[in-house]
Amino acid sequence: METPEILNQLQTIFRSVMDNEDIQLTDTTTAIDVEEWDSITHIQLIVAVEKFFKIKFNAAEIRAFKNVGELASTIKSKLA
Amino acid sequence: MENLFQHILDRITELNPMHGKKLKKSVKSLGPDYFNKAEEFYQKYNRILFSSGKTIEFGIDCYLHMCNDMMFEQLRFMETGKYSNTSFDEVNKNVYDNPAVMEYHMNGLLMSEMLWHHHYKVYSFFKENFNHHLPSIARYLEIGGGHGLFTQEAVNDLPNAIIDVVDISKSSIELSKQFVSGGSVNYYLKDVYEYNPEVKYDFIVMGEVLEHVEDPVALLKKLHSLLNENGKAFITTPTNAPTIDHVYLFRNRKDVVDIIEKAGFEVYVESCIYAEDLPPETAEEMKITMMYAAFLKKK
Repeated sequence: METPEILNQLQTIFRSVMDNEDIQLTDTTTAIDVEEWDSITHIQLIVAVEKFFKIKFNAAEIRAFKNVGELASTIKSKLA
Repeated sequence: MENLFQHILDRITELNPMHGKKLKKSVKSLGPDYFNKAEEFYQKYNRILFSSGKTIEFGIDCYLHMCNDMMFEQLRFMETGKYSNTSFDEVNKNVYDNPAVMEYHMNGLLMSEMLWHHHYKVYSFFKENFNHHLPSIARYLEIGGGHGLFTQEAVNDLPNAIIDVVDISKSSIELSKQFVSGGSVNYYLKDVYEYNPEVKYDFIVMGEVLEHVEDPVALLKKLHSLLNENGKAFITTPTNAPTIDHVYLFRNRKDVVDIIEKAGFEVYVESCIYAEDLPPETAEEMKITMMYAAFLKKK
């Protein structure tokens, strides 16, 4: 799966978890840009991402995510 | 630094916006007393850090590291319904016997004491009810004193009482000695099972210890044996709280109360506080931590 497709899918997941259809994700989106993205919705988000892509993150990977681009790139490397 | 607490909140938000947002939201409704107490607490911690050549940045880093561990444990817990550690030996090997992990974990926990609204609410619940017991306390014991927040209350409120602390961890005792000021506290570095004083206690506090042991009934029975017939105890323990050093899983209030009753106690005042400001059904579905706190008497 290529990065734009992953980003597109992430946007669907974000909108569903945050219950906000206006969310527009880019590589550089962080929690500062999305009001509903806090540590609780983040857990729900990771659960949904792991379930959809059928992958598992380790603690170091979760710690390293600084923005949506880094999340997408970790997903891509796990799917490779 | 003036307004250190606000600086801590801002710095956490800068380093981890999603966590900072949650913290700022959860402490907003706590009122001026809370902010004054938090400021006093972190100024004290900052002085302790300074005396060992560190700054509050160190505490913030430790706290965020611990929060990341917890988030990871929470994810796996939601999936499996179990804590990742089920024995004291595992935790001993991975955490207690690992100085690098212990350092950030203990400092992270200390930072959480006033950052987490449920910790503060438990502390307030203790203070409010502890006041009614003061005239009957000549001997006070704390098991697993940790950072010394409760011990400090005892020192402030019981100037003529004997105040003892028994703790298995040398670093906890050292921290408590630095934190607690203005009174005389006797510290005993030993396993509580090996602590057999000649005279029993009127009041015993044991905060957030039960979840660290494999057999919480045995530990409560030991507490029971250290208490006078009319003595009272205050205990706290979290439900659904996956962390790197929790072993015994309490799933709900009933799990905790069952253990308390099996050990020969009855609850006469209690408080249940969810760690997140969510509707109870969402909190239950997400298996969000609930802090259980109770005053106990012998049956």
